[in-house]
Amino acid sequence: MSIKCSELTKVYEGGHSGWPALRGISFHIKPGEFVAVTGPSGCGKSTLLNIIGLLDEPSGGKYSLNGRNVFTLSDLERSDTRRDEIGFIFQSFHLLNRLSSVENVALPLMYAGAGRAEMHERAHALLRRVGLHGKEKKIPLELSGGERQRVAIARALANSPKLILADEPTGNLDSASSKEIMQMLTDLNAEGITVIMVTHDKELAARAGRNLRMRDGRLEP
Amino acid sequence: MRALLNAVKTGFTEIWAHKTRSVLSFLAIAAGSVVFIDAFSAIFATYAHLERQKQVSGMARMKISQNYSQTYSSPDDYVPPPVFRYEDVLRLREKMPELYMVSPEGRDWRNVLVYGEQRMTTSLMGVTPEWVKRDFIYTLKGRFLDWHDVENKLRVCVLVKKAAPPPGNSFNKSMMKKYNFTGGFDMLVAHNDMVGKTVNIDGFTFTVIGVLEELPYSKRPDTIMGRGQEYKVLAPVTTLVHYNFIGQQSLDINIDTGSEQNFDESMRKINNFLKIRFGDGDFFIVENQLEVIRERIAASIKGALVTISLGMLAFIAGGIGIMNVTLATVFARTREIGIRRAIGASRRDIMLQFIVEAVMLGLIGGVLGSALGYLWGVPIKVILGMGGSPIKPWMPLVSVLIAAFTAFAFAIYPAWVAAGLKPADALRAE
Ligand SMILES: Nc1ncnc2c1ncn2[C@@H]1O[C@H](COP(=O)(O)OP(=O)(O)OP(=O)(O)O)[C@@H](O)[C@H]1O
Ligand SMILES: [Mg+2]
Repeated sequence: MSIKCSELTKVYEGGHSGWPALRGISFHIKPGEFVAVTGPSGCGKSTLLNIIGLLDEPSGGKYSLNGRNVFTLSDLERSDTRRDEIGFIFQSFHLLNRLSSVENVALPLMYAGAGRAEMHERAHALLRRVGLHGKEKKIPLELSGGERQRVAIARALANSPKLILADEPTGNLDSASSKEIMQMLTDLNAEGITVIMVTHDKELAARAGRNLRMRDGRLEP
Repeated sequence: MRALLNAVKTGFTEIWAHKTRSVLSFLAIAAGSVVFIDAFSAIFATYAHLERQKQVSGMARMKISQNYSQTYSSPDDYVPPPVFRYEDVLRLREKMPELYMVSPEGRDWRNVLVYGEQRMTTSLMGVTPEWVKRDFIYTLKGRFLDWHDVENKLRVCVLVKKAAPPPGNSFNKSMMKKYNFTGGFDMLVAHNDMVGKTVNIDGFTFTVIGVLEELPYSKRPDTIMGRGQEYKVLAPVTTLVHYNFIGQQSLDINIDTGSEQNFDESMRKINNFLKIRFGDGDFFIVENQLEVIRERIAASIKGALVTISLGMLAFIAGGIGIMNVTLATVFARTREIGIRRAIGASRRDIMLQFIVEAVMLGLIGGVLGSALGYLWGVPIKVILGMGGSPIKPWMPLVSVLIAAFTAFAFAIYPAWVAAGLKPADALRAE
């Protein structure tokens, strides 16, 4: 997944209106890279990740994903891109609490139009892969933080994405779990998946191939 | 298609997960269904009732009777007004053979009937065989009067047996006891087989050739003109004239022209006939009962429409309930919407999800309401003595469809709100 951004800006409307969260950000991430985004709280890391993941739109600048200008994409195309090519991992997991692990993992497959049998098989395989064999029927509230994050990773992998966006994936986890999650991300990257991870943890950031340091909506040189 | 199936599945999960909320919102719709089914069946009943009334009573009705509002400048000017006699009936019949019914009635108000040891008051009515052509809400035992009886002025009569009054309404019952001066007569006919017996009325013997039994209230269409006349003893009008029961009295003539098309034409001819026969004095009036009937029909249709509009209001209330619930759901599930969007759901998917959920609530409500509507319409109303409503299979069907459609219509806005949320904003919600 090749990501090219130039002079990205983002101004949030409302609140203290016109607060510029991003003030011109340019970078290029090549396919297969592992990039860590770091910087103090409020500097715009999540904002940037949301824009990269097509969850939000920039106020200005250019952004091309695999050579396609994302400004020209329709909502349906953006949704399909998120579904098929991007996997999200969030600090607070963002699982659906009413659904079991396996149902959570199957959700992206459902939106991709998979059949029942295929959904069942793939979701179970993914859970086995992240080491949650036997916990398929549990709902998120019955799992530990580390286990929840592993369900989220399984879900992110459901449609075999080329890009994984992780916003402080270890922010709510103890150090043991953090290490496991980090290891998984590293393994995925080794398989060729591009990974962009926001983190406050210097140690974890150091294990990434490249660091983007942010401050006040800009990249530090 | 698969997206729809998935939305239905999610809908079930959601409805199940929020049982109380769901039950409340489909109860609202169910209430609408009940009212609607009731309205439908009320309209249907009214319509069927009117059709039967039309059949039994006819539409093209008029009535000739004496004009009692004659004015005279001084008592000395008074000349007895002309009377409509049986000969005039025959002449009118001769002039206008195309009329379906020309039925004269001459009433003697109070007569004493003696049967064996029993004496009782009753009331004689002189008629012809044409009397059976309209408002015939009886079953006949023996035979009715025929033209032979009329032409030969025979002393034969037909007795009318009253149906049991409708259940309930004790006020009416006690009023009937108090004012029904022919109570003894009613008892006599009710408890004796009178066909072939001889009775004595005001000193003349009459042979009872038949008994007319009123249909029970449940089976009877009210005659369209209401129940103005009470019939007790029917005898040939010629006999009553001949034996001077109603000797000098003017007859009332009930007419049915047979069709509404030639009604005005017949009315004009009849007025003309009266003018030629009795002069310009407006001694008789011809009541246009067709107008009255039409007004009555219009009134019952209006009543039905009021009920339907109540049903509509109930549905709108239910719809607003669903809209409210769906909006609340959207706000309560904003984070979920964000999650679904992040993993690839499109606006269309989100919209579909909320609409399908609401329509399912509507469907459940509609089915429940139809069941309740049936219970209310048939057994409960009967238990409460309101008379059951006929419920046709299409009524619940239509009601369920309307319920689903209402839910659909009212879910569009909330679903649109849900679909319009930006994924990033939705994810940030708690
Ligand atoms: N929806 C929003 N509306 C208005 N302002 C916002 C919104 N989201 C973020 N901001 C502002 O934009 C700036 C950047 O926010 P962002 O969430 O990207 O920071 P961050 O680097 O991820 O911080 P953290 O490390 O604490 O997660 C902050 O000042 C924040 O107040
Ligand atoms: Mg953040």
